[in-house]
Amino acid sequence: MKNFLSIGFVTGIIGQIVGTAIGIGLLTGIRAMMGLAPKSEPAAVLGAALGIIGFMIGVGGFRDWFTWAKGEDTYEAEEFHDRPGVIRYWGYSLDHKVIGVQYGILSLLLMVLGGTFALIFRTELAQSGMQFISLDFFNTLIGMHGMVLIISILMGISAMSNYLVPLLIGAKDMAFPRLNAFGFWLAVPASVVIVAAIFTGGFDTGWTGYPPLSARAPLGMQMFFVAVFFAGWSSIIGALNLIVTILRMRAPGMNMFRMPIFAWAVLATSLIALTATQLIGTSFQMVSFQRLFGMGFFDPAKGGNPLLFQHLFWFYSHPAVYVFILPGLGIISELLPVFVRKPLFGYKWVAMSSMGIALVGFLVWAHHMFTSGMEEYLRVPFMYSTLLVAVPTGIKFFSWTATIWQGRMRFATPMLFTLGAIVVFLLGGLTGPPLGTVATDLHLHDTYFVVGHFHDTLFGGYMFPLFAAIYFWYPKITGRRMNETLGKIHFYLMTPSFLVMTFGQMAVGLLGMRRRIADYDPAQGFQTTNLIVTIAAFLIALSILIFFINLFVSARKGEVAEGNIWESRSPEWALLPSPAPEHNYAQPFNVVGDPYDYGLKGSKYVETAPQQAAD
Amino acid sequence: MTNSTPSPENKILIASANPLFLKGLEKMVLGRYGESARVRATTTTSETLDLMESWQPSLVIVDYDDKSISRAEFLHQFVAGDLPMQVMLVSLQASGAVVVYDRRTLTPAQAQDWLSTPQNQPQSKAPISRRSSSMKHYVFAGALVLVLTFLVDLVLSVTRLLPVQASLQAKPIDRLFDIEIVAISFLFSLIVVFIGYSLIVFRRKPGQDEDGAYFKSNNPLEIIWTVIPLGAVIGLSYLGAITLGETRQADPAPLEIKVVAGQWFWRFEYPEYGIVSDKMYMPVDKQAKLTLTSMDVIHSFWVPEFRVKQDLLPGENLVRELRITPSLLGEYKVRCAEMCGTSHAYMESPVIVVSQTDFDAWVQGELAAIGTDPAARGERWAKNNGCQSCHSVDGTPGVGPTWQGLFGQSVELMDGSTVVIDDAYLYTAITSPNAQVVKGSTPNVMPQTYKDSISDDQIADIIAYIKSLQ
Repeated sequence: MKNFLSIGFVTGIIGQIVGTAIGIGLLTGIRAMMGLAPKSEPAAVLGAALGIIGFMIGVGGFRDWFTWAKGEDTYEAEEFHDRPGVIRYWGYSLDHKVIGVQYGILSLLLMVLGGTFALIFRTELAQSGMQFISLDFFNTLIGMHGMVLIISILMGISAMSNYLVPLLIGAKDMAFPRLNAFGFWLAVPASVVIVAAIFTGGFDTGWTGYPPLSARAPLGMQMFFVAVFFAGWSSIIGALNLIVTILRMRAPGMNMFRMPIFAWAVLATSLIALTATQLIGTSFQMVSFQRLFGMGFFDPAKGGNPLLFQHLFWFYSHPAVYVFILPGLGIISELLPVFVRKPLFGYKWVAMSSMGIALVGFLVWAHHMFTSGMEEYLRVPFMYSTLLVAVPTGIKFFSWTATIWQGRMRFATPMLFTLGAIVVFLLGGLTGPPLGTVATDLHLHDTYFVVGHFHDTLFGGYMFPLFAAIYFWYPKITGRRMNETLGKIHFYLMTPSFLVMTFGQMAVGLLGMRRRIADYDPAQGFQTTNLIVTIAAFLIALSILIFFINLFVSARKGEVAEGNIWESRSPEWALLPSPAPEHNYAQPFNVVGDPYDYGLKGSKYVETAPQQAAD
Repeated sequence: MTNSTPSPENKILIASANPLFLKGLEKMVLGRYGESARVRATTTTSETLDLMESWQPSLVIVDYDDKSISRAEFLHQFVAGDLPMQVMLVSLQASGAVVVYDRRTLTPAQAQDWLSTPQNQPQSKAPISRRSSSMKHYVFAGALVLVLTFLVDLVLSVTRLLPVQASLQAKPIDRLFDIEIVAISFLFSLIVVFIGYSLIVFRRKPGQDEDGAYFKSNNPLEIIWTVIPLGAVIGLSYLGAITLGETRQADPAPLEIKVVAGQWFWRFEYPEYGIVSDKMYMPVDKQAKLTLTSMDVIHSFWVPEFRVKQDLLPGENLVRELRITPSLLGEYKVRCAEMCGTSHAYMESPVIVVSQTDFDAWVQGELAAIGTDPAARGERWAKNNGCQSCHSVDGTPGVGPTWQGLFGQSVELMDGSTVVIDDAYLYTAITSPNAQVVKGSTPNVMPQTYKDSISDDQIADIIAYIKSLQ
């Protein structure tokens, strides 16, 4: 029992329960003393917020800071050692690799959860008419599917960047190890709170939470707001940490244009996350306050404006999609050269295109509002800026194609997923212009065409690269390779199913199927296609089940990975054993060449610096 | 860098005026050849040429970018000599490419071997043969791109992608779709063919272990594929703007229809005729000017066959406008396209496009139907205001209480008091729904705007109608 209570996660959950109870009790108690009837909503919101803080205290997130506040010293982050074994993933660790894996576990858990929601409502949509869930539960599920997976994606990106960035740039850890751990653990209670939304009445707004609807939705809406607020906070902290790490902690000789391309992608992503996430937090907080305190920010009857919310919301949520995809595109650029045995074509252009996408991404938010009733003339400039995104994205595609051209391709599982990512993301990219062009968007907006489009971009820009990354770096984490046969089954089952699914979604969207509807009119003629989409969704789920089996079985039974199994030039493969040791490189390395000079004989990217380094 | 190491004695001459270049290379060379190598550095052409004569280096590394080393003079002297010597021209600027000259003297027999055995072929020959064969690849792949573009476009244009085109506004939109489909087909084919071709033709065959072709970057190419897409997107945006303008052309004398949306109904008012209806009748080929407003949350007006879409916002100052000219007779449905709560999926109402004659007949019929029986009128108002989307009239449970047998019941309110449902209570319940909420119901569900949108006379009729439902 004592052992059990020493696990950070357990004390955290206890802290969350205590915090929630204090929050609810406090407000109810005050109202009772004033002779007022209990009110559930403010109590629940305060409970949820204090619960999250309670979790952070319970897990030990404030311990060192409290110690410093008392004027006492703590250990340095480098002196920190984890408990050996798998148990270290359940507690408060300062090691970026442990935190990376923790992010990964949370991300995959949320992915399963969000995917399950989709399977439930996809089953309902297999046929017209309501068969086995209620309208309200359906509406809650679509919103949950969206937001749970968005948080899952943010966690997955943090997993990749936390684990990889210090390894790739030759740092011992992140710039701020304590802040890093704090950022991760903040997302855990936030995830608990968002799941709680289902049990507190749900919400019927979709993930966008537009008022006035969200101002009158059930209590679950407030849980959703609180969860997103804290998850956003976690994202901001993580982004800040990554920017400092990338800018300040690179190995000697690694100038910006010798960084691994993934570091560029993470830099661009983090710049967006650091500067835009506040807007979604603010917009949700304002709706929350409208509900709690009657502040009519978005209520026309009180002089508010519902369109204001949409501007604030999309000012984050559009750049956010680039947060979701840029790291994945970075993974594609990172893995392609290894498997085609050729340099990444136009390294600087690819690096700059990430920054270009990040920059242009800030100028396009109102393309989500072409039919919203905002000032009409605004639609044209936003159409120009939106389509401009095609230019840096095009550079990436052309560069990848040129990288593959005349390459000596090796078809290992990570490469298959990389190729899948390119093709799927291409489809996502090409279905963008009809949406970005106002005239055609008048028809397509809020239809299943949009659903198909962004599933293509997010699978191509995140899911496929994530799987590629897991298959590629799994040996670095566990010391064992994942099973190739199962990996290939996963790929060859998931890819066609996924393509069928999104083609189906786009087809019904063009024919007039609206987004987020629980039921559809059989007269519109998309019954069969919907059935096919549902079947395809289940096949994807099956392929991901195979992935999980592979993930667990290979950890114990996988082939032992010795040495540079991918013949990569990157330092974590060229210099480190698998699994990667604590605090990474015992001996610092120098960067003496370009990262992707495959095919240039005798060249090296990194070499271990001699102990008596020449000066 | 080169695979043959100058030996037995490595004498390496580095010619560059750039001290960084010198230092970096010197370090690298020493690291590579170890202590046996001797390195000397020169910074001018004459110095270099002198040393080439007197010191006889086995390898000369020349800074390609350095103008103070005359390349022509240097190469002239190099070609004139006959001792074994290798020369590397190294550039730091353009993509890091390296040019290598290998000077050796061969006996006729050696020359014969050199010509016939491929493994003895110097590296410098490879790019030439690769270039001519790669031209062939580009031609093949280019042809495949065209074929695939044609096929994809063909498949997409014979498939029925869009619903029937039933408005004038739909025409330019559909035309733009066609253009976009051609562009999508081409770009898809371009990328997929080049990648697919590469996968099949250049993939690693069993037994092969060498790396891919070494080329890193090509700035003119990058500029081309930045500028051309830039032009294309500007062109597409321009077309988009033109098309948007066409859909917004306003007729000076349109038919005005006020569209009011609420959870979860549509109401259509014809101010010219004083008609309120739950179906939208439209005369064909006559532009309708829809003024759109919502009673509660955001909804969106969309008839897929008409293509155009516009959100309806709550608030008097946020009334929006949409122009539609139906061009095809038929019965369609307006479907709410913005998530608006529980019954969003079912927020659909008929939109009926008829000839002008039929439209006039419908108007006459509607006006005549406003009869003398208050209960019959009330049924009409109730239907037109969407009351039945929450309140059934046959006892079926709904979002709100059913109207059947409602009048005369006594109910308990949220504050614990009991009231009998009579005329006065019903009037309050319609005009200010939150005033006396029945225990077990949720406040704020029923819109609170009926006191403005339905006249007192009509409310009296609706109450008469509720009374009649026993």
